Amino acid sequence: MPIENSNSDRHEDFVALYVRHEPAVFSFVLGMVGRTADAEDVTQRASMTMWRCFDKYKTGTNFRNWAFQIAKNEALNHLTKARRDRHVFGEQLIELLAKDCSEEAEKLDARRRALDSCVKKLPEDEHEMVSGCYAEGASIRSFAKQQGASANKFYKRLNRIRAKLHHCIERQLGLGEQVIR
Amino acid sequence: MIDRDLKDLIDQSLNETIGEDDLRALEQHLFEDPVSRLYYLKSTNLHASLRRRFFVKQNPGNILSCTNHFFTTRRVLLAVAASLVLFFGMLSLWIPSPSVGEVAQVVGAYRDNGVAYEIGEAVEPGSISISRGLLRLDLSNGARITLEGPAELEVFNESRVVLHRGLVTATIPESAVGFVVDTMTAHVVDLGTSFGVSVGEDGQTEVCVFDGEVEVTASQEGEGNLLPHLVREGEAIRTRIDSSVIDSVSYETSQFENAWPVNYGVLQTTGSMRFVSPGPNFHPGNYEDNEHIVVFPERRNILAKESVRVDMIDPGEYAKSHYREKPSLSTGKALTSYLLQLDAYPEGKNPNRRRSVRGQITFANPIVGVITEGRLLKDSEVVFGIPSVDYQTARTIEPRPEGDRRPGFDSLILTADRHSLILELRENPGHLDQVRVLVEAD
Repeated sequence: MPIENSNSDRHEDFVALYVRHEPAVFSFVLGMVGRTADAEDVTQRASMTMWRCFDKYKTGTNFRNWAFQIAKNEALNHLTKARRDRHVFGEQLIELLAKDCSEEAEKLDARRRALDSCVKKLPEDEHEMVSGCYAEGASIRSFAKQQGASANKFYKRLNRIRAKLHHCIERQLGLGEQVIR
Repeated sequence: MIDRDLKDLIDQSLNETIGEDDLRALEQHLFEDPVSRLYYLKSTNLHASLRRRFFVKQNPGNILSCTNHFFTTRRVLLAVAASLVLFFGMLSLWIPSPSVGEVAQVVGAYRDNGVAYEIGEAVEPGSISISRGLLRLDLSNGARITLEGPAELEVFNESRVVLHRGLVTATIPESAVGFVVDTMTAHVVDLGTSFGVSVGEDGQTEVCVFDGEVEVTASQEGEGNLLPHLVREGEAIRTRIDSSVIDSVSYETSQFENAWPVNYGVLQTTGSMRFVSPGPNFHPGNYEDNEHIVVFPERRNILAKESVRVDMIDPGEYAKSHYREKPSLSTGKALTSYLLQLDAYPEGKNPNRRRSVRGQITFANPIVGVITEGRLLKDSEVVFGIPSVDYQTARTIEPRPEGDRRPGFDSLILTADRHSLILELRENPGHLDQVRVLVEAD
């Protein structure tokens, strides 16, 4: 669809900002809604709202905070509907998580960057395991089934790999490791 | 300290195997304890990042074989399709956008992740962060921007950038008039000029105009920002996060002294060498400084029609020579000129004292010729000097004659790599020491 010239600069602005902050928005939403597929849906809807309301975004102000606000509202809408069928996080916790996530956004960005080199250090079998379980459309259960293994065994392996990556990130960022009792 | 139970609950939540009661327990835990909440956010952040990292790594066959329930298949495929439309739709608009310029100079500039910037890298719309050093971007419309770290700059296109924090100096030619620098508190529109903008941690913005004019509007809403504020050369303003008022402040260029020279192809000055930020009516003819060898940018990208006679072209120390022995630079090569000047004035109890002033200057491009004797300085003025500046005083530097061991002479050395000049000049109150440096143009 051709885009009018007057809109195209604005569109480029939005795309540049959104592509840069999308991983942070997705992570923010996932913390609230819990399930990955739901987080994808909510992030998708939030991105559409952001584009529709981009006129209201004031250039030069913090795009991430603006995007978080819209994403939080989408997440709350989603959770209100989901609450009819199952237990989900309540609004009070959502507000606390949103506040913490905004305050910690820079540090979480740094962790995301540090993860890259940590993933590269994983042995081949663990790398294959993570890439299989986290590929779009895959789930741990389905990946385990495909590999002819029990889901339980895979959950445990994945927990261990995530813990390993968590420690690697802390080391990369020069943080003291958190002790787990 | 993180409770093993909490970690288990979080793992179950990430694996999507958590039951209702455990989810309530997790919620209670997170609600009560900020440390647990932070650990939870780090865990979901890792989980989300892995998801993004391995985005669409499997082939479609695998995706189908991974999902056997109709509803899940459909929803996952929809999510995949939606994500693909969103991502690749956006990327297709984003990636082909031509680069808007290139990295033209790097002085110890590193990204936040420690990777160094390199000359010639394309500048594309997006974010540029530097943890330290200086980075000059030459944009396709002719605008030159030097960023001093730590800084974060968002490039939208060749005519608009947003400075989130740090400092930039900009030199905007006629071809790029209307260039915009936005910050959290100010909207700065260039009207054909050179200027500096700095943004502090608190969002406070300072704009300092070296030459020409800019128009500033405060970004904060309020009565003060209805009309743009015109800032002329030699003026400076400040905007704050909690106010819509544009404050006039004193013209103070020192914070821009590192970044500014890079706009002009000077990478570094050390010792008593000082690059002068332009300002109202600044030119070598009316600028006196007892402490420094002052550097003035003169003319840029000049193609001489006739050959130019100079005092030295080869690396080494400058020695006096006869006019007929002076080397000539042939025509056909575009050159940029700078004037280095020590103009001491008599002052204090001992007005005729003759101290030494030392310094070094490093240019981005190779030096092709140095002119220092009065006659050659005058001859080259028409082509390479700042127009309509008249030097009344005799000008020359006095190198040590061969074999002379007495103290008190001037020394000028062109380094072997041709990028630096090392000067030691004796103050001679009431006299001008000048050196014109011709450097290869960009």
